[in-house]
Amino acid sequence: MSRFVITTTMVLGLALSAAGSAQAADPKQVYDFYCAQCHGPDGKGRGINVNKDFATDPRNLTDSTEMAKRSDDDLRGVIKDGGPSISKSALMPPWGSTLTTDEVEGLVKYIRKFCDCKGK
Amino acid sequence: MRLLAATVSIGAALLVMAAAPSYAAGGDAIFKKSCTGCHYTDGPAKEKTIADQLAKKGPELWYAGSKFQKPWLAAWLQNPKPIRPLKYNSITERNPLDHPKLSAGDAAAVTDFLMGLTSPEVKAGVLKPGESVQGKNIFAKKAPCGGCHEYPVKGELHGGKSGPSLVGASKRLNPDWVYAYLAKTKVFKPVRDMPDFGPVLPSRDLMSVAAYVASFE
Repeated sequence: MSRFVITTTMVLGLALSAAGSAQAADPKQVYDFYCAQCHGPDGKGRGINVNKDFATDPRNLTDSTEMAKRSDDDLRGVIKDGGPSISKSALMPPWGSTLTTDEVEGLVKYIRKFCDCKGK
Repeated sequence: MRLLAATVSIGAALLVMAAAPSYAAGGDAIFKKSCTGCHYTDGPAKEKTIADQLAKKGPELWYAGSKFQKPWLAAWLQNPKPIRPLKYNSITERNPLDHPKLSAGDAAAVTDFLMGLTSPEVKAGVLKPGESVQGKNIFAKKAPCGGCHEYPVKGELHGGKSGPSLVGASKRLNPDWVYAYLAKTKVFKPVRDMPDFGPVLPSRDLMSVAAYVASFE
């Protein structure tokens, strides 16, 4: 009986875990969907939207010198509350009502891969 | 007996006509035959994930009657012009301009069908298109819509490419829908690559920018 309970629990646990991972947001997919049109699929800040009317270019996320000046908390903040929250351009909009906490965390890690740097 | 049968038949026909929806007969059938490969009309919104949104080939139309202006829709279905600079759901491919054309008769019937699809979230007849200092300021600076949307300035094109163009919005869009779309984004499009400004900007800001957008020639 106890073996049956353990097996059932394990199967249930694996099933729940699989369902959970299916729901988890893929950071690359999230980045490509919400960010790449301005920051570019390669993170270099030359997305399809960038044009002569942009008062400032989107951040080049591969620029490790600039990106190292920002903490992970800075990145979370600017993703959620937009550029003006750190005195930068409003062209970076607030995504706080759109993205889940997990999606923001995934983006921070994904962005750090572009610069291959840690925050201050 | 024959008279009775004829009377019953006429009565039944009248009953069917009275029970029919307000759109022209045939518009829904034409839509089902020609349009459902890319568009759905049975709301509410079905998308729950990015993958759901990316699987769509064209925009959802279950609130088309609240969104579009009828004369524009009837004309556009006969002679479709690109609304999005880029292919739907793409940020790399140009719009292939391959939307099918409908005959005048089919376009009128489909327009009647689509204009019957309205959302209770859109209060019709509230906003009038118009430029205001506040609307202009929000559009250009506070929440720069031109980052993703094309817009006209004295006949010249400005703005980004990833969103639908706002050129000609005065003929295409209903300002009350633009406001509702900004204020209650998730009702219309739960997964979209446009920020949700409803919780960020006050209603009066959203109204003024909606009226401004709906004034674009």
